[in-house]
Amino acid sequence: MTPKIAIHGLDFYYGANHALKSITLDFPERQVSALIGPSGCGKSTLLRCLNRMYDLYPGQHATGEVMMDGMNVIGPGVDVDLLRSRVGMVFQKPTPFPMSIRENIAFGVRLHERPSRAEMEERVEWSLTRAALWDEVKDRLHTPATGLSGGQQQRLCIARTIAVRPEVILFDEPTSALDPISTLKVEELIDELKRDFTIAMVTHNMQQAARVADQVAFFYLGEMVEVASATTMFTAPREKRTQDYITGRFG
Amino acid sequence: MSGAALTGEEAPFPQREAARLGRMRRRRMQSLLGWGLCALGFGLLAFAMGWILLLVLLRGISALTPKVFLEVTQGTGGGLLNAIEGTLLIGAGSMLLAVPLGVAAGMYAAQFKHSWFASAIRFMADVLVGVPSIVLGYFGYITMVEGLGWQFSLAAACITIAILCLPYICRTTELALSQVPAAMQEAAFALGAGEGRVAWRIALPVAMPGILTGVLLAFAISVGETAPLIYTAGWSSYLWNGQLVRSPVGYLTYAIWAFINEPFASANALAYAAALLVTLIVLLISIAARLVLLRRQGAR
Ligand SMILES: Nc1ncnc2c1ncn2[C@@H]1O[C@H](COP(=O)(O)OP(=O)(O)OP(=O)(O)O)[C@@H](O)[C@H]1O
Ligand SMILES: [Mg+2]
Repeated sequence: MTPKIAIHGLDFYYGANHALKSITLDFPERQVSALIGPSGCGKSTLLRCLNRMYDLYPGQHATGEVMMDGMNVIGPGVDVDLLRSRVGMVFQKPTPFPMSIRENIAFGVRLHERPSRAEMEERVEWSLTRAALWDEVKDRLHTPATGLSGGQQQRLCIARTIAVRPEVILFDEPTSALDPISTLKVEELIDELKRDFTIAMVTHNMQQAARVADQVAFFYLGEMVEVASATTMFTAPREKRTQDYITGRFG
Repeated sequence: MSGAALTGEEAPFPQREAARLGRMRRRRMQSLLGWGLCALGFGLLAFAMGWILLLVLLRGISALTPKVFLEVTQGTGGGLLNAIEGTLLIGAGSMLLAVPLGVAAGMYAAQFKHSWFASAIRFMADVLVGVPSIVLGYFGYITMVEGLGWQFSLAAACITIAILCLPYICRTTELALSQVPAAMQEAAFALGAGEGRVAWRIALPVAMPGILTGVLLAFAISVGETAPLIYTAGWSSYLWNGQLVRSPVGYLTYAIWAFINEPFASANALAYAAALLVTLIVLLISIAARLVLLRRQGAR
């Protein structure tokens, strides 16, 4: 199977700080790939390459290849806004916009399409349903999104992301600010979403990676040490560093 | 409560226990001292403000007859309708000029905070804050009243006050915008929103209470200014005739300044009434600004 995203020889720099070193890694289509590794090893940095988030900050740059459907995502001449509509991102802390629940979703949709009122209503319901939030908010779509609980806010952020109908969704520690029940909900959600989306997820929780991921990649000091199926990774890792990390001997 | 009492045991390290008690005593003293200074400062401020309010209120309230609101000034008597109208006109006119410019400059400085133009904006705003208002008034007099031949006029007054308010609006706008969480803006960019969209639809609404507070305080400044207006607005005992130039306007602070030393009781009464009105307007604006800020904190 051809991967949805194929990274080849990717280097990333925060100014002079060489944060990613010659990464080569594939993200298979409609699968969950987990990125694990100790703090500061470059997991978030890798995600931020896939949607060119680093473009916002002068002094940060990437070299190499991140191929998605035959296009080098980090190359010149890429329409970054369009790219970000194809590669959505959910952050660690929920970031609802200061508008109603409905407007939170409509905001992203309107950036890329001109739907009719009815189409928009349909899209709002569809995305909230897919984010397992519809039943909880359907009667208060016009209330401020800041009134939701943290777990609900995170699912709203997921709904907002899928409403744009991306092909890839990046999750950067999506549950680390959530309680166990909300965490479980988001995990179930990710498992459900992989039927339609290619997913890359950063997590510090080994059990979570084992539960949700199809493929796991271990990062250490800016290098990709090892990538394997979740089963292999957690039962028979090839490298000693990987084994030490997943058994909790460091990091 | 000591650690020993908590655990029901003898303190295991007597020297540590003594050091701990000493530290606590010292902290309590420092805390007491801090509280004392705060209370003193608050007392002084409250005393000064109370005195001013009381004075203005006592003298002003008896002078505040319906006539003040219904009639224009006649010589050293009559009412203050012309001055009330003038003060509101100058306030509104200067805000009309200063708000769009100041907010735009503040947005630019927040958005492109590392550019040299943003540094230039900040530098000029800081310098402008430091310029005494009477110097600005003199500037207005030379350039507009004389230079452009506008004479004492609403236009010269509004532009001068606008220049005076500009740095406050610019800096509060920049400050409010720079406090918008970066994560929220990143989330909008991650959906594929462009710079302009993020600035208008995300950053500006979040920063709006802060910006509004700055605008209200600038408005309060415009109501309370005297010196620059003496040089640019002149004074008029008549209601505004709709002319922007070559026609002086009245304003409340002039009535205070000019009538307080007149030997006539009617003039003194007008000065006290004007003082009360200016104080009340400024107080109301300050309260409005507080409410706006409080509502923001409530929404968070
Ligand atoms: N804005 C920045 N400027 C400079 N260096 C940065 C910046 N952001 C991250 N780094 C550095 O890049 C390296 C990788 O950071 P990154 O955030 O990708 O780590 P991470 O694996 O996501 O860690 P965590 O698990 O703590 O989130 C770290 O050494 C970090 O110090
Ligand atoms: Mg990270």
